[in-house]
Amino acid sequence: MPYHAFKCSECIPEREKHAVVKGHGEDLTSCLPLGYLNTIPGTISERGCAFCGAKHVIGTPMKDVIHLVHGPIGCCYDTWHTKRYISDNDNFQLKYTWVTDMKEKNVVFGGEKLLKKSIIECFKAFPDVKRMTIYQTCASALIGDDLDAVAKEVMEEMPDVDIFACNSPGFGGPSQSGGHHKINIAWVDKKVGTLEPEITSPYTINYVGDYNIQGDQEIMMDYFHQMGIQVIASFTGNGSYDDLRCMHRAQLNVLECARSAEYICNELRKRYGIPRLDIDGYGFDLLSESLMKVAMFFGLEDKAQAIIDEETARWKPELDWYKRRLTGKKICLWPGGSKLWHWAHVIEEEMGVKVVSVYSKFGHQGDFEKGVARCSEGALAIDDPNELEALEAMRELEPDVILTGMRPGEVAKKIRIPYLNIHAYHNGPYKGYEGWVRLARDLYNAIYSPIHQLSGLDISKDEIATDVGFKSQRLISDVGFDKAEIAAGGEREYSGKYDCVSELRGKTYPVPEKSFSAAV
Amino acid sequence: MEEMIKDHVEELVDYIMHRCLWQFHSRAWDRERQNAEILGKTKQLLCAEPVDLSTPDDRCYWVDAVALANGFKRRFPWINSMEPKNITLLMQALKERMDYLTITKSLNKELTDPLY
Repeated sequence: MPYHAFKCSECIPEREKHAVVKGHGEDLTSCLPLGYLNTIPGTISERGCAFCGAKHVIGTPMKDVIHLVHGPIGCCYDTWHTKRYISDNDNFQLKYTWVTDMKEKNVVFGGEKLLKKSIIECFKAFPDVKRMTIYQTCASALIGDDLDAVAKEVMEEMPDVDIFACNSPGFGGPSQSGGHHKINIAWVDKKVGTLEPEITSPYTINYVGDYNIQGDQEIMMDYFHQMGIQVIASFTGNGSYDDLRCMHRAQLNVLECARSAEYICNELRKRYGIPRLDIDGYGFDLLSESLMKVAMFFGLEDKAQAIIDEETARWKPELDWYKRRLTGKKICLWPGGSKLWHWAHVIEEEMGVKVVSVYSKFGHQGDFEKGVARCSEGALAIDDPNELEALEAMRELEPDVILTGMRPGEVAKKIRIPYLNIHAYHNGPYKGYEGWVRLARDLYNAIYSPIHQLSGLDISKDEIATDVGFKSQRLISDVGFDKAEIAAGGEREYSGKYDCVSELRGKTYPVPEKSFSAAV
Repeated sequence: MEEMIKDHVEELVDYIMHRCLWQFHSRAWDRERQNAEILGKTKQLLCAEPVDLSTPDDRCYWVDAVALANGFKRRFPWINSMEPKNITLLMQALKERMDYLTITKSLNKELTDPLY
């Protein structure tokens, strides 16, 4: 087994089995780190908790819902200032944060009365909103507050409201992934099948495992709608509470992030016989194949091909512009869960970069199977790295940029390695053809930013030349290029708009022609 | 022939591992079904045999199989000139190799968890 031992973790020998290097001739029977285990004492993990995974990742992207946290006020910290799962109803779920603000007296005497009072108060404050999710936290779970009982009581008193109780306290799993699991199963147990949808197309899907980060989901919706497909529910980005109750009526579950949402697809297959189709919404090639697969299921290949042809013709010359300048650059692909395998290969193929490391804080071994399978030889795969290990990896691998979240990203900056935020994104969306070019553009800007010339100088000892300016990005990136050859190929920089999502919201689509009875 | 099939199987495995996701469903029983159905339908497509599309599940396996068969034909032109009996042998060997890598010798400890 090609385990990789970090020097900084020699005092934590259990960590050795959490990192592997994919060597020549290695396959998944010999090269796979451990994953989804309790954090080892002594290693300072950067994981989130199970409450965070349930609420902040999966619950809150539901757009027409009051998301009430039953716990201390600190539990609602990660909200509008860190999350970017936008919605087409003016970001209702991001603009407000609701919490019962449990105090010591509630821990001593019980918090159920406080919860009921808060629920009613919330509904009165937002009289147009009739749906709510209440989230258990460590404090309220430890004292045994019964969220389901309180929700039932309120629903009996207020028949026009519907409440979903999510029992995923912070300690309910080794990481945020435990919360993904709990909310998936709870939703299918408690809410799926409690409402019937209005069917408007012979072709119906659920789009699962996309959280509409900076509009990702809306980009994909546009493609599906262009094909005449009705998306019954979006789990959960830009998703509606009542639509998600209707998931049992879709003909197909189209799954993106299997890490956070494969559970509900598996259960929907088992309970309702809805097949699960795993797709990649990133990268021209894989996205095209994915759109075609969804289309083939319904016999809509010509519609998918039209989208693929149009989008490729529009955006490929721009992707190529960046590929020329990114080729050979080393990246560490350190996302949450699914992007490590969504991107591991296609980003090398289509942007020319070299993925020297993949990691996940909460990924399971199944994610590492996909990641290790897709990444190139020599890549270092790490499960749940601590900060010192990440620093050691960066010093050893010398990447040009780190693709990760805010916490490890800010650490990378301290050793002068730029980072790109691929959790909340820098300038997304990154899904779709245009989105993939936006990612390439952000990578280019991160690597070639003139700031690196300044940040490398120590004003306390270095001599600063005052007669020359800093080099612009193009002066650095275009050295040795044959401009005539580039011009002949039609390559060009990103030419899209700052906001490529909002205009989709007013778009109209043709009504599907095929009769309902003839559908799959 | 045996040596040739062995070499070709590794090329096909490499293609699947870099591009596909269906082989990594959650549990051992999922993977057994996915490998059998998708590779079985891929073999039927490559051999120009009829494919059963009678259920939604069949249709879902079929779309992955069509993508795979098309990819194989495009990336590995030698497959277009293979006799159906040799394609059958090749695909059988491919399935055995995929089962080995993703199920029987998989290091993923969650594969046998009785629940999702």
